[in-house]
Amino acid sequence: MENLTQSHTPIVFRWDLDKTYLQTEFESLRELVRIPFEKPEDKVTIPGVIPLIHGLRRVAEAQGRVVGIYFISASPPQIGKAIRDKLALDGVQVDGIIFKNQLRNIRRGKFRNLREQIGYKLTELLKQRASFPPDCEEIMFGDDWESDPVIYSLYADVINGRVSIDELREILTTAEVDEELVGEACELAAQLEHVDSVRRIYINLERRTAPTEFARFSDRLVPAFDYFQTAVCLFSESILDEPAVAAVAQKLIEASAYTPARLANSLNDLRRRVRLDEPRLEVLRESLMAAALLPAPPVVVIPRPSFWQRAKKRLRALAQRWRHKPVVTAEPPAALQIDYRALMSEWRQLREGAVR
Amino acid sequence: MPTIAVDAMGGDFAPEETVRAVAQISLETDIDTILVGDEARLQPLLHAISYHPARIHLHHTPEWIDMAEEPKAAITAKPKASILEATTLVASGQADAVVTAGNTGAAVLACAEHFRKLPGVRRAALASVYPRQTEYTGQDQLALLLDVGATIRCEATELVQFALMGSAYASRVSKVGNPRVALLNMGAEPSKGGEALVEAHHRLSSASGIHFIGNIEGHDLAKGKADVIVCEGLLGNVVLKMLEGLAELIVDLADTAAKENWRWKLGLRALESGFGKLRDLTDYAAYGGAPILGFEHLLIKAHGRSTAKAVANGIKVAAKAVRDGVTTEIAASLQQV
Repeated sequence: MENLTQSHTPIVFRWDLDKTYLQTEFESLRELVRIPFEKPEDKVTIPGVIPLIHGLRRVAEAQGRVVGIYFISASPPQIGKAIRDKLALDGVQVDGIIFKNQLRNIRRGKFRNLREQIGYKLTELLKQRASFPPDCEEIMFGDDWESDPVIYSLYADVINGRVSIDELREILTTAEVDEELVGEACELAAQLEHVDSVRRIYINLERRTAPTEFARFSDRLVPAFDYFQTAVCLFSESILDEPAVAAVAQKLIEASAYTPARLANSLNDLRRRVRLDEPRLEVLRESLMAAALLPAPPVVVIPRPSFWQRAKKRLRALAQRWRHKPVVTAEPPAALQIDYRALMSEWRQLREGAVR
Repeated sequence: MPTIAVDAMGGDFAPEETVRAVAQISLETDIDTILVGDEARLQPLLHAISYHPARIHLHHTPEWIDMAEEPKAAITAKPKASILEATTLVASGQADAVVTAGNTGAAVLACAEHFRKLPGVRRAALASVYPRQTEYTGQDQLALLLDVGATIRCEATELVQFALMGSAYASRVSKVGNPRVALLNMGAEPSKGGEALVEAHHRLSSASGIHFIGNIEGHDLAKGKADVIVCEGLLGNVVLKMLEGLAELIVDLADTAAKENWRWKLGLRALESGFGKLRDLTDYAAYGGAPILGFEHLLIKAHGRSTAKAVANGIKVAAKAVRDGVTTEIAASLQQV
């Protein structure tokens, strides 16, 4: 962490591992048992995630920012070596990985904690946050499989002070988190300086949950159906550049049966759901079209503006990019008071319903 | 991977059911769809359910034709109607086939306006499928009846063309390798019926590449004698409506009887599983829809009361027809005669 404190604009990307980075299958007991015996080369990543992470580091460094990439997993540390080897194989430079000490839970007879996610992840995120510089920005990546949207949002609102310590205790108790973990989380939260550092939460819709289900989490949380959508959002916020988005798009074409038309569909879907920086998006669209990653204009439904409109937009985008360096151009998302007490019970029911 | 344009606004339960169908298709198959309709209505419906965005393209159009509208007038008054936009997308090569559960007349007119007829085809035919008995294991439980309303009166040449088109379609899309084709007539003898039917019988009997079995009568329709039944549009439409009316009458009778007499109620309860099988057999949702034949492109017309399941099956039928090159097959079979 020493290198992070040296910068005045550090940025940290915090990733969940299973279903966000890795295409881990744990729906059946057989799949669950197989995980510890998987070799690094057998583990499969979600299409587009590797070029996305490469792009995040490269662009942040090019912007003169100190960058950290961290993973958090609910898997035990016993499979840590295989995971680290896999990340090394993928060329992903990692600054830290947290694993869940399941043996400790078993030894202490805390069997409920084996499956519990909210208390575990929140505590670990807060613990790690304490080692980051206070002005550090965070972008978080999770999935719709379990409770990442709830955990990340709660984490963000605890560190920005919107959720008080008393409220946090009540929320975690409602979620039936282990008493010891509740105490630890509250203690950690009390030590943190209040900073609105979580810029965005990206949720990979691995189980294709309906996007409207995430409306309750505010604009800070962006549900994305594929990593092309995530990359486009990050581009819109100047966190990624055009080559990085193109690399993600290329990977989806190679590994996920995408075509330029399907990428265009995905892009249009995102534009209908998420407010993006349209002038920047226009620049991106043209560059992707030039690289044949989006279909030629007649097929694309987005109306093509006139030459002057395009030139104006391009100039505006270039000027914006020039003016802010290092940059995060877009305004932080509007804050929304999330009713975590209601959310805890509703979300659990929703997840259980989806599993059934 | 074919692209199917779906008229999102057509049908009694549109756009809710068409959107659900397209979402389901996007998750379960590799078929790309273009959802044609009012984006302001389609978007919230789509975002409230599971779907795969890469496989769905939303094509906005501000107009659509309701089920009860007079087709010709509606087509003229609404040039941006969803069914017209859907056929335009196919004609311009952006999609491969159309599926609609909307106004049948408007669908036929939209095809006529935007699609070219296959070489040599004089009139298009609207087909329909209906359940019937099967005569052997593996025989399709559904027979193809055409024309059911696109062409009111037909000459012999048109009946022959319908037979060839129906045969080619059934051999590709149904589970029938060499479908048996028959003319619907008032008697089995070749000399029965009007001049057109007699001549059509004569020409089909000597035609190669088609398994023509002769004439069948009305009472043979429900049997498994023929897989493709050919008739002129007026007759086909009357037959189809009569079959639908008969099915409704049986259900009504059973309901009334069950209400009036407890013994009947008990009897019906005992036959419940049999009725269930009958319901499955006659469930239009399972077969998805039937084609309008004779054009260079295909339009699958789903039942007006189609649910998401029916529309989804219609999309699958359309995709299968595109993959199997049904229109090419039809064109080739027409060239043989």
